Amino acid sequence: MRIKIFRWKAIGPLLLLFLILILLVWVFAEPVARDTTEEAATQLLGTEVNVGKLDLIPRQASVDLRALQIADPFVLTRNLIEADEIRLKLNPAALAEKKLVIQRLTLSGMRFGTTRKKPARRPSGDGFAPRAYQAVEQWTKQFDVPVLSLTPIDTIRQLALNPTQLTTIREAQSLLTRTDSVRQGLEQGFQQLKIGPTVDSARALAQKLAATDPKRLGVDGTRQAIESVKETLKKIEDAKKQVEGLERNVRTTIQSLGQGVKLLDQARQKDFAFAKSLLKLPSFSAPEIGGALFGKVSIDRFKQAAYWAELAQQYMPPGLLPRPTPGPQRLRASGETIEFPKAKDFPQFLLQEGQLDFSIGGDSPIQGAYTATVEGLTSTPALYGRPARITAGRRAASSAIASIDVGAIIDHVAAQTHDSAHARLQGIALPSFDLPGLPLRLQPGTGSSSLTFSMRNAGAHLLGRWAVESKQVKWVADTTGRQLNELERLVVRVVSGLNDLQVVAELGGSMASPRFSVASNLDKAISQRLQAVVGEEVARAEKMVRAKVDSLVADKVEPVKRQVAAVQAQATGRVQAEKQRLDQVEKQLNAELQRLTRGLVPGLELPKIKL
Amino acid sequence: MFGLLKLIQSIIKTLHSAGTPGQVAAGMALGSALGLTPLMNVHNLVIISLLVLLNVSFGGGMLGWMLFVPVGFLLDPVFDKIGLSLLTAPSLTPLWTDWTNTPLLPYTNFNNTIVLGSFVGWLVLAVPIFFAARYGVARYRATIGERVQRSRWYKAVTASQVYNIYKMFRP
Repeated sequence: MRIKIFRWKAIGPLLLLFLILILLVWVFAEPVARDTTEEAATQLLGTEVNVGKLDLIPRQASVDLRALQIADPFVLTRNLIEADEIRLKLNPAALAEKKLVIQRLTLSGMRFGTTRKKPARRPSGDGFAPRAYQAVEQWTKQFDVPVLSLTPIDTIRQLALNPTQLTTIREAQSLLTRTDSVRQGLEQGFQQLKIGPTVDSARALAQKLAATDPKRLGVDGTRQAIESVKETLKKIEDAKKQVEGLERNVRTTIQSLGQGVKLLDQARQKDFAFAKSLLKLPSFSAPEIGGALFGKVSIDRFKQAAYWAELAQQYMPPGLLPRPTPGPQRLRASGETIEFPKAKDFPQFLLQEGQLDFSIGGDSPIQGAYTATVEGLTSTPALYGRPARITAGRRAASSAIASIDVGAIIDHVAAQTHDSAHARLQGIALPSFDLPGLPLRLQPGTGSSSLTFSMRNAGAHLLGRWAVESKQVKWVADTTGRQLNELERLVVRVVSGLNDLQVVAELGGSMASPRFSVASNLDKAISQRLQAVVGEEVARAEKMVRAKVDSLVADKVEPVKRQVAAVQAQATGRVQAEKQRLDQVEKQLNAELQRLTRGLVPGLELPKIKL
Repeated sequence: MFGLLKLIQSIIKTLHSAGTPGQVAAGMALGSALGLTPLMNVHNLVIISLLVLLNVSFGGGMLGWMLFVPVGFLLDPVFDKIGLSLLTAPSLTPLWTDWTNTPLLPYTNFNNTIVLGSFVGWLVLAVPIFFAARYGVARYRATIGERVQRSRWYKAVTASQVYNIYKMFRP
């Protein structure tokens, strides 16, 4: 019996199945796409993204998103951006290749910094964005932001210092051990030299020749004597080389011990600072006061810039090499999905042109219509060939009183990446913030603020500057719950008298080891006032701290320093003595050699033999 | 429990169906693709179409699917390695690059390590599955098939309410 290969009758049910599938897609595509968009965007940006409604418009290859909210990852109760409507015009040819190429993005009804009805979820999971968020949080912790201490001087307790807490004592003990081992090492080195027999035999030869008349030796005897001298001189030369080797070793060791002594002094400075911190003395140093007052708020600004730059590094890598990304979430393992970019083809994601219109209402000087553009935001910058650009500003000519100017360039086209962003806000109501260590809230009022941030080669070079300037500063004292002490009252009085504010924070170095500094006009004012009022008392307290530390470490440090000096002197002296011994006997032998050669050919002056 | 009962009924029904051992085995070999590879992928639509259109045992296909689902989960780490080695092989990079940039082909998710690895794994295993299943079905029918059909246990299972419901939708 011949078995049929095809079941032609099954075509009908199969077509019905496909029809049902198409119907299901038709019915559920929009809610599924909305959920997927929310999920993917949340995962991508590391912050909650909500989409109110999503409409697919297949005939126009467009997607309409309504009521979009992107939460601020750093302030979960606030939206970074809220937009009424976003229309994405997609490239159908790219879509056929499962690539998202947005030919045009129009965004209307955009608002910034709006309050969320429900706080956003904190970035979690092991995706890149949550990891970048955690890394940036960790990164900010390395900045040593001083704490403003305004403890009244009369509350200073007796300083109780435990010697084991002091670094100097630990360093001194370690240096003592090292000095001992160095001394033993040098002693061994001198013993291994064994130049005594060489010097003795050379001296004996010189004495023997001195007592000999070359004329009586004859030609053969003289030649033999010359040979002996040359041989001995060679031995002396070898011994000198050994001494020179030892001398180099001694020099290095002495230098290292010298460094150890310097470290002791540095450790003592640290111990002074530590002991001072126990007393919680108020600081008069303007940079310290600046750091304490504005360190945290400045670092927060740079932290946000660093986070977005990190995301750009991840999502917009340079080059065209295949790149793996985690596969989709499913019951089965996700695996990895590998992208294979192809030159002169569509990248996996590209936003060719984005037009964002927004307006700022009210009576504020910055009210008006604004426009922002985004160009060339892509997952494969090497394919697009140009840096991504983001700009935002007023649509009409900007007023002299108020303006907003925002721009960013993400250049990942070549291996040497460069991300830079700037934001200049002028004539706008600046956000208020608390001053750490002071019961005051600063309301900068209307002023100007600027932030520039630049990151080269994935964080190898960082450059950032945040500046705030206002002439309408208000201070709100928060004295609820506790009584201010005398110093706090003084500082509050000093600060409250100021109507203007200038803060400049600067960031440099690299992501791995950043440098940070902050200065403001408040620092000097507070520093000078504190200096005038409690300067003498603090100086007395500092003197007491120094005396206490000195008394604890002196009997540990001084013997070590003496021992180091003794080893240094002893080693140098011995090397010099050995060198002198060798030079002396070499000189004698050379003199005898000259005498012998004159006897061989009288009247002929031979040059000194150099081996 | 329901799933297990359904599996047993499916096995029994398939083993005692009118299809030849070859048809049952071919159905199982095709159905194993549904179990071994991640289900929600375009290639499985093709597999289902083949199961319907080709004159193979559809029940065998469903049986193959059910039997190989746990195998698929177990072999995921192996599939991941196979997929990764294929996708990162320098000699194959031009091929994957062309496929990635060919319309519709990227929707198969071939560039996912699990999808590619499990699909290749299925291609390799399909032939042994076919021969093993054909031998197994033939041996079963020749040895204990009739005895099982006469047993009380078989009658109890086939007489169960679930089986009756199942029979109503049977082609």
